[in-house]
Order: sequence, then structure tokens, then C-alpha cells
Amino acid sequence: MKNILIIGWKTLTKPSGYYSLGALVIGGFIAGIIFWGGFNTALEVTNTEAFCISCHEMENNVYEELKTTIHFTNRSGVRATCPDCHVPHNWTSKIARKMQASKEVWGALFGTINTREKFLVHRKRLAQNEWNRLKANDSLECRNCHNFDYMDFTEQSERASYQHSTALASGEKTCIDCHKGIAHQLPDMKGVEGW
Amino acid sequence: MTINRREFIKANAIAAAAAVAGVSVPAIASNLITSSDITKLKWDKAPCRFCGTGCSVNVGVMDGKVVATHGDIKSPVNKGLNCVKGYFLSKIMYGKDRLTTPLLRMTNGKYDKEGEFAPVSWDQAFNVMAEKAKDTLKKDGPEALGMFGSGQWTVQEGYAAVKLMKAGFRTNNIDPNARHCMASAVGGFMRTFGIDEPMGCYDDLEAADAFVLWGSNMAEMHPILWTRLTDRRLSSPHVKVAVLSTFEHRSFDLADNGMIFTPQTDLAILNYIANYIIKTDRVNKDFVSKHTNFRLGETDIGYGLRPEHPLEQAAKNNGKTAGSSTPIDFDEYAKFVSTYTVEYVSKLSGVPEHKLEALAELYADPKIKVTSFWTMGFNQHTRGVWANNLVYNIHLLTGKISTPGNSPFSLTGQPSACGTAREVGTFSHRLPADMVVNNPKHRAIAEKIWDLPEGTVPPKPGYHAALQNRMLKDGKLNFYWVQCNNNMQAAANINEEGYPGYRNPKNFIIVSDPYPTVTAQAADLILPTAMWVEKEGVYGNAERRTQSWYQMVEAPTGAKSDLWQLVEFSKRFKVEDVWPEELIAKKPEVRGKTLYDVLYKDSSVGKFSIDEVPEDRLNDDARDFGFYIQKGLFEEYATFGRGHAHDLAPYDTYHKERGLRWPVVNGKETKWRFKEGSDPYVKSGSGWDFYGHKDGRARIFALPYEPAAESPDEEYDLWLSTGRVLEHWHSGSMTQRVPELYKAMPDALVYMHPDDAKKRGMRRGDLVKLISRRGEVQTRVETRGRNKPPIGLVFMPWFDASRLVNKVTLDATDPLSKQTDFKKCAIKIVKV
Amino acid sequence: MKNLNLASIAGLMAIVLSPVFTSFTVTAADKAEINTVATLRDHTKINTQKEPNPIPKVVNKDIKKARNYPMQPPVIPHTIRSYEVNRYNNKCMSCHSRQRTEKSQAPMVSVTHFMNRDGNFLAEISPRRYFCNQCHVTQLDTKPLVENTFTDMHSLMKQKTANTKEH
Repeated sequence: MKNILIIGWKTLTKPSGYYSLGALVIGGFIAGIIFWGGFNTALEVTNTEAFCISCHEMENNVYEELKTTIHFTNRSGVRATCPDCHVPHNWTSKIARKMQASKEVWGALFGTINTREKFLVHRKRLAQNEWNRLKANDSLECRNCHNFDYMDFTEQSERASYQHSTALASGEKTCIDCHKGIAHQLPDMKGVEGW
Repeated sequence: MTINRREFIKANAIAAAAAVAGVSVPAIASNLITSSDITKLKWDKAPCRFCGTGCSVNVGVMDGKVVATHGDIKSPVNKGLNCVKGYFLSKIMYGKDRLTTPLLRMTNGKYDKEGEFAPVSWDQAFNVMAEKAKDTLKKDGPEALGMFGSGQWTVQEGYAAVKLMKAGFRTNNIDPNARHCMASAVGGFMRTFGIDEPMGCYDDLEAADAFVLWGSNMAEMHPILWTRLTDRRLSSPHVKVAVLSTFEHRSFDLADNGMIFTPQTDLAILNYIANYIIKTDRVNKDFVSKHTNFRLGETDIGYGLRPEHPLEQAAKNNGKTAGSSTPIDFDEYAKFVSTYTVEYVSKLSGVPEHKLEALAELYADPKIKVTSFWTMGFNQHTRGVWANNLVYNIHLLTGKISTPGNSPFSLTGQPSACGTAREVGTFSHRLPADMVVNNPKHRAIAEKIWDLPEGTVPPKPGYHAALQNRMLKDGKLNFYWVQCNNNMQAAANINEEGYPGYRNPKNFIIVSDPYPTVTAQAADLILPTAMWVEKEGVYGNAERRTQSWYQMVEAPTGAKSDLWQLVEFSKRFKVEDVWPEELIAKKPEVRGKTLYDVLYKDSSVGKFSIDEVPEDRLNDDARDFGFYIQKGLFEEYATFGRGHAHDLAPYDTYHKERGLRWPVVNGKETKWRFKEGSDPYVKSGSGWDFYGHKDGRARIFALPYEPAAESPDEEYDLWLSTGRVLEHWHSGSMTQRVPELYKAMPDALVYMHPDDAKKRGMRRGDLVKLISRRGEVQTRVETRGRNKPPIGLVFMPWFDASRLVNKVTLDATDPLSKQTDFKKCAIKIVKV
Repeated sequence: MKNLNLASIAGLMAIVLSPVFTSFTVTAADKAEINTVATLRDHTKINTQKEPNPIPKVVNKDIKKARNYPMQPPVIPHTIRSYEVNRYNNKCMSCHSRQRTEKSQAPMVSVTHFMNRDGNFLAEISPRRYFCNQCHVTQLDTKPLVENTFTDMHSLMKQKTANTKEH
């Protein structure tokens, strides 16, 4: 194993005897751009709502439910697409999430949730995954748009401003603790804290 | 600072609320008032004024005003609960625009069809009415006279009206708004069982293992029954709820199996279930062989439209034979339903196969006690009687009937659709106790009880609801009295039929109502009417429970009950004015008497003295006529049913009880009819006895799926369904005047799927026009909220007087029941 | 031509001023409410239709409204958009249940909600009261079409106490 690595390293470090250094550097740079760009483009394609709802499991369940909620249609027309909430924005977390998503590909292939009834059976587990993730990252994807520092409490209802200025401000609670089921229907909430 | 601001807002809010409620808040708060002679309220029971559930309400009165209402804890129906409408009953009588004087269209002090409404006295109003009625009688005979009544009339009012129209004026042109509501259910009962009204009762709600809702949004339309169903479902986890509808609504919130089906395909689903029961060998053979027989019904029966309509021209059997059937045997029936396979029906209805199978299994499994509920989804259906027949088929095939929890249960819409419209028989073809005018024996019974000569009651059925509007338009019905309903807002297709009918210069239209409704607006004479606890009366609910109430407050000065109006008007007619000489000759002693004498005062109606009215009770009607008229009418009416499986208890009993379910035999009410041990009319040893038919057997009908009268096409590309909402009763004439209910649901919006809106470039709140081949209505788009229609269907409720969706709807009816289908027509929607 | 222009200007004026006119007619209607017709239609003929008003917003001020009588279910003083009450969960109870009110500071559902059909108290809210929205409704920010003259029993009692003092 060690030898293989050494041979590989030697090949890579050996000067090229045919191409000019300049060509190699520029070629490598361009190839890098293409590969990196291609990877990122591909990644970005999977990061669009159109891609998400190309699976009917998504389109007929969660997306259909989203349509009537405030994250789809609202006063200012700023709407959340699937990845806005469900894909982390910083690169490492995003890649990590994408790796996890490979499991969802299997799910799609084997039809784990290919009917509404099957989806409802799994709904609690699926929701729990997302709640756990948001709880762990202090509702990062919520906060990408809803920044606590810029909330005007006087524009909020009395209930909201009270909770935001106390529980949220102190860090005792994070967004997802209270705002479950704001974009999709809820699973059976038996045993969920706060219900 | 924040606290100050909040307090300021609150103080403002209280002042604003007080201003709206009409209360002045003193600058200095008063101490608590504790003196019992001041804080004491006078409480009495009354059935709720709204739906057919028939909740009992406690009404609190202080200084002659209703000041509080709450659910009656002693009532077995609601056990202390009310829905939001019921809780606000206290305010329904106090809309500022209560009518207090008759209003007549006049120009220069004289009646003019094109004139403006002006106040007249009751005497003037009755003078004009009597003159118009007599003119009409003279010119065109009794068939040009008509009346449109109500399932919200008291029993006594309905009975007085039947007697006045059928025996007094000798016309059968009397029909109730219950025609729009329950006629298909009646047709179903009469066809399958030979006797009207449910065999089960609300006790089924606590006994069933499964509930199936067929075209019934109980969560909104029968909220208190829904609380009982919810109680059963959530407290007993084995219980299952299946909900079928053409769009998703609040009842789906509790559904274990929610199914959206393409309109009209419920017929196919019903036949599929029968087929499934047979194919899986779960027919209760013992029950079927002893208690049922099979019949093949007539098909291709048309759509109850005008005869010249292309659909009627195309239909083969839309005449007298439409309701006929021929005997078949079980094998022929099994063969008939065998084409309704799960594959075919799933494709036709759009309901996934596994959901259909789960539904069928609830019925097929002999261990599951099933209660089916239905309301307007089945009844407002051009094959409504069939739908009723088909659901009975399923219960009969499995023997799941007339025992606790096994119950095909037709829910009624109105508070006394059963008690008044059906039991009293205020329909154009009916008489009390399920009798009909075209049966000479039945007419003879009525004439005997009424002590009137043979031949008084005309044999020919009169105009039913939809036909009345058509005949008004055609100028064949010229004197028309509408009581206790708002048909200009309710009946379908008013653009082409109802409105031109009311405004036809040949016609004189009278509308009695507490409030100026859309119908009143279309009338020539409006009569101000006393309502609910401003009079004494009796209602009968969906489980055969008869309930009475006393008058508790005075009506506004000038307003009179429907009963008073009917009876007082009868004083204006001498028998000679209305009866032909040969009829009078059969009973010469009536000569010179008024209809009031003959029909009410000198008949058995008049035999109860005013002294029987408790002294401390209000009873304006009885004191005005000088005898206990409500008791007299009730007792005379009750003689029709006593001994004939419609037995009612003595009148006074009802004032003491929280209602009793008929037949009441030897002081005992009946919970489950047709079952030995619980129904005293069942022959002993028979187990079950469907005694409505002479052979004691219920009928299982082979009837097919047939398409709707009008379906979406390229131009009119959407289904339109109309219906009610939780917060408003029917057309909203009472509830829209309660600020809290108005603010909870102020306007009728069109509920549509977000994709349907998007496809048409619309969004929530957009001003749109709903256009059909008959008319158009403007409203605004709702893409979220409680109703979630599938793509291709929209729902718009009809409670909103300012947005008349019935300008758009189609007046197609079930040719058997003559009930309009308000759930299906084709429209398009465009942006304004 | 000139006339046409005038007409169109008048038309424009009417459009611009129509909200003002509408509010005038509403006030006029209020005054002429008694024994007139079409009060719920703003005095519009049956064969015509007034333009439907925009969908009002739900009142979301969290300010309690006085009850008309003690047994009246309180109206909901806040929006309930996307609040699910179905067989899986009851969002209302995440604030108004007995266990949650300390955290939420929302009013607790009344004791009657713990009673079953027979009037016995259960350890939890009775399922017959499960669907809150059968009795409790939000209020939209709109003005009633017709005034209601319902009398609060309190004002009657105050009259009586005042009368007793006079004697």
C-alpha cells in the first residue's frame, strides 16, 4: 500500500518531458475550472426546486402541502424553495447533506414512500430528521432569511414579540422549537416536546 | 412605554367592542351586582333554530329579551354542547333591520308591481292579498294558487298550511324548501322501506366501529353530531372513519380513509361495494332471504329539466315510468353489480384501488358495526333516490341495519325537515303520516279527520319547488306565498327561472320573513314575521325526535308568526269563495262560514281552551285566537299517525321532555325501528320486520351509474359545487346579522386548487367571474383555507346574499324526487 | 368630442371617488335600515351585482373581546393560518392546554372541556371538544353589514340597580 502511494507520488512529481510547463499550468487550470464548475453546476442543479419535485414523492406530498402556506405565497412574494430550508448554505455542510441524500435516491428507487399512505407512515421519522438537524444548527436555514438582529418586535403580534424577545433572545429556544409544521403538514405529534 | 401603549390599545378595543355591541361602558367601574332578584335569569328549553341535528338549547331571558343561550346539559342530543352558530342564537332576533310592518309595492298609494315598497297596515296587506287570491281563483282556479313553505316551519305551522292549501283553497301547489334538501332521502326510504325516516338514531354514534361519510361534511354542517363521532373515534382507537367527497373539507381532518371522487361516480362506488361483498362471500344470506327482495329499476330517466331541454328529449324513460321496477332474484342482482370491479370503478372515480378495497371491507367484515351518514352529497343529486337505494343495498346485503351501530343514516338538513316537511307532509304530493294525495284511500282518511266532505282534497299532485319557479315564469302560478325560507337565494338558476317568475307582471308574490331577504326583495308584499322563541312550536329532528318550546319573548311590535298569518288570512274567505257548489252541497252546514271556522276554530283544532295555556306563559297566537291553537293543531295532526307507526305522545308531554323519538307507544319512545325488541310494531318472532312494505321486506335495487346532467367540457371547464359553511345557517339571513358570525365568515369566496388558479393567471383575492350557460356571479379567489378542491373542481358556498351563486347553478333535478342537484354543473372562471 | 372628454373625466372621477361614495352609501344604509329591503346586498338590485370587496385580513391583535354572555365561547384574537387540528395533532393545545399555559401564557381551556357526555371530568380534554374550530372562530377585519341590537344583561341589571336607588 505504502509502495503504491510512493510510486504515485513520484509519477506526479516527476517533471513532464513532453508538454511545456506553461501548457500544463494553463491546461490544468482550465481543466480544473471545467471539473470544478461542472461539479458545482451539477450540484446546483440538484439544488433547485425543479429537481426536488421531479420525484412525485416530493411533488405530491410535501410540495403540494407547501402551496397553501406562507412560505409559498405571502405579502412580499419572497418565497422559500425546497433547498432554501433543506440544504445548508455553507459548503461543507452542503456536501455532507448531499452525501446523506444518496440514501434518498435509494428510497426513490425502491419506492419506500411512493404512495401517500407509505409517506404518512414514514412522515414522523422524516420530519424528526429535519427537526433534529435544525435544532442542532440553531435553525440556521431559518436564520438565513429571518435574522434575529433585524426583527422589529413592534411589527409583530403581541404573542410573537413576547416569545421572540424572551425565549428566542435568550437562546433558550430556537426557531424550530415552536415553528414546526409551518411549511408542511405535521406528523402525529405524540411525544414531541412542546405539544 | 410598551405597557402604556398596550393598555391604551386595550382600552380602545374595549370601547370599540362596547360600541359595536351597543353597550355603554361607565367611566367608573361598578361594583359587582349580587342581589338575586336582579341577577336572576329565566331559563327555558328550546330546540336550536338551525340544522337538523336538533340540539336542545337553554334560553335565558331578562326583561323580555333573550340575553343568553347555551347547550342544554339535559338533552341526550347535545349534552350541553352547541356549535358556534348555536352559541350565538341569542343574537339572531336582534338584527337592526327586523321588519315591523308589512311592506307593499306601491305607486301613488296603490299597489303597483313596479312600485317601491312602502309600509301598510296588516289589514291593508290582507285586503290586497285576499283580493288577489280571489281574483286568481275566479280567473284560473285553485291551480294558479301556490305556497312555498319550509322545513323550518313549526309542525303546527306546516300543518295549518297544508290544511289551508289542500283543503281550504283545494290546491296541492304547496311544497317546502325541504324539497331542495330531503326529497331524495324520502324517495329512497319510500322505495326501499315503504316508510319514511331513519330506522336508527343518534345512539348509533356511540355504538359503531366504523363511520362512512357519503357526501356529508358533518364537521361543518352537523357540528354536534361530529363532536359525538369525534368522541367515539378518538376515545376508542379501533374505530375507523372513512370520508368520501368531491373535494377535501374539514371532515377529512378525522378521516382514516379520505377519498376524493369524480362527481356522480359515487353511484359506481356503491355498486362496487355490493359487488365486493358478494365476490368475497360475505352476504348475510339468512337476513337477505328472510327480509329482502330484489328489483331491477328503470334507467335512463332524464334530469328533471323542462321537457323541451335536449337532455329530456334524449332520455327514454323520463315520464311516469321513471320510478318503476321489476322483480329479479339474487343471481340476477349479483350479475348486475359484477361489472363494477375495483379496476373499473377506480378508473371512473379516481379513487385508488386500495382505498376502495379498504372502504368495502368496512362494510363486508361481519365483525364491524358500520354507520353510514349522508346529507346533500347524496340528496342533491340527479340520481339522489338511487344513491339512497344503493347505500341501503349494502346495509341490507350484510344485515347491518336497525341494530345499535349498524345504521344507514340519512342526516337531515333543517331543524324540522323531518318533523314538519316530511311527517306533516307539506309536499305537493303528500299528506300527513306518509300518505299521498293521488291515493283515494289516503284522501278519504284526511277528509275524515278534517271532517270535510269527500272530494275536498284534489287528487292531482301540485307543482314541486323547481316546477313552481317554472310555472311562475310561464304565468301559470299567479298567487304565490313564500314563508320561512329564502328561495330567491336558494333555488338554482334564478336568472332563467326564479327571478323572471317572481317579477312576471301576472303574478302576486308574498314573502313572510323576519328580515328583508333576497326573496323579500323580489316580492310584491313583505310580511314581518315572528321567529323562534317569539312563538310556541314543535320541531322534529333527524332521529325522529319531536321537541317543543314555549314562547319566551314578545316579537317586535308588528311582527306576527307564520301561524298567525296563515290562520288570520283564512278569515278573509267564505267557503263559497273557494269551494264549488257541489262540494258545499255535500256538507251544507259549512255554508256562510269562513275557512277559519271550518279549518281551525270549529274543527278539532279549536277544542283546547285558552285556559290550558299556562297563565305565566306568553302565547300571543293562542291568546289572539282565543283557544290553544298550537295544541289543537298538534293533536289533530297526531291522530294521522297514532296507531300507524308514527305515534306521537300527547302534546303536553313534549313540554316536559327533552324530546321523544317516534313511534311513542305506551309512553315509550323507539330507538331502532324494524327490529324486534326495540320497535313495538315489529311482529314477534320475525327478528326484523320492514313493515312499510306489505310483505315486510325491504327492497334491494339494481341501479346503474349514469352520468351527471352537465359535466365540464372545453369551454366550461370546471365542476362547480355549492354548499353551506359552519358559521352560517343556510342563506345567512339570521347569522349574517350576528356580528361575530359575520366577521368569522363574511363573504362567499370561490375555493379553488392553487394550480387551477395559476393556470388561469389568478391568485388568492383576485376578483373573478364564475360563468355558466345560465348566468354569472362575481367573487374572489380563495386558494387556501378549509376547503381544498382537487384540480378541475371549485366550491362556492351560497350563504352570501350579495354574491348569488344560484345565478350560475343548473336546475336539473332527480326525476324521482324532484330535488335539485346543487353539487354539479359546468362553469368557467375568468378574471374581471 | 368635448362632451365625450367630459364624460370620461367624470367617469375617472367616479372611479377615483368611488371608495368615498361607497362609504357614504353604507352610512346612508345604516340610517335607513328599518323596514327597507336588500340590507345585506347594500341595496343592490337582484339582477345586478356590486363589486365584491377585497378579502379582509384576520384580526391578529391578541386583544380579548368581551363576551356577550358568560356561556359564549370566546372568539380567537389571533390568526390561525396553517394551524393543524386533525387526528394527528391539535396545534391550539400546544398553547392552551393545561400543561402548556405556563410557558405560553395563553388562557387555559375552560373546565367544561374536560367533561365527557355524562358530565364527568376526565384527566385530559374530552375528545368531544377536540375540534376547537367548531365553537371558536377568528374574526376578520370587516364591518358588519347590519347592526345588532342585542342587549347585554349587564346593562339591564345596571338599569335596575339605578332604578332601585332612585326609589
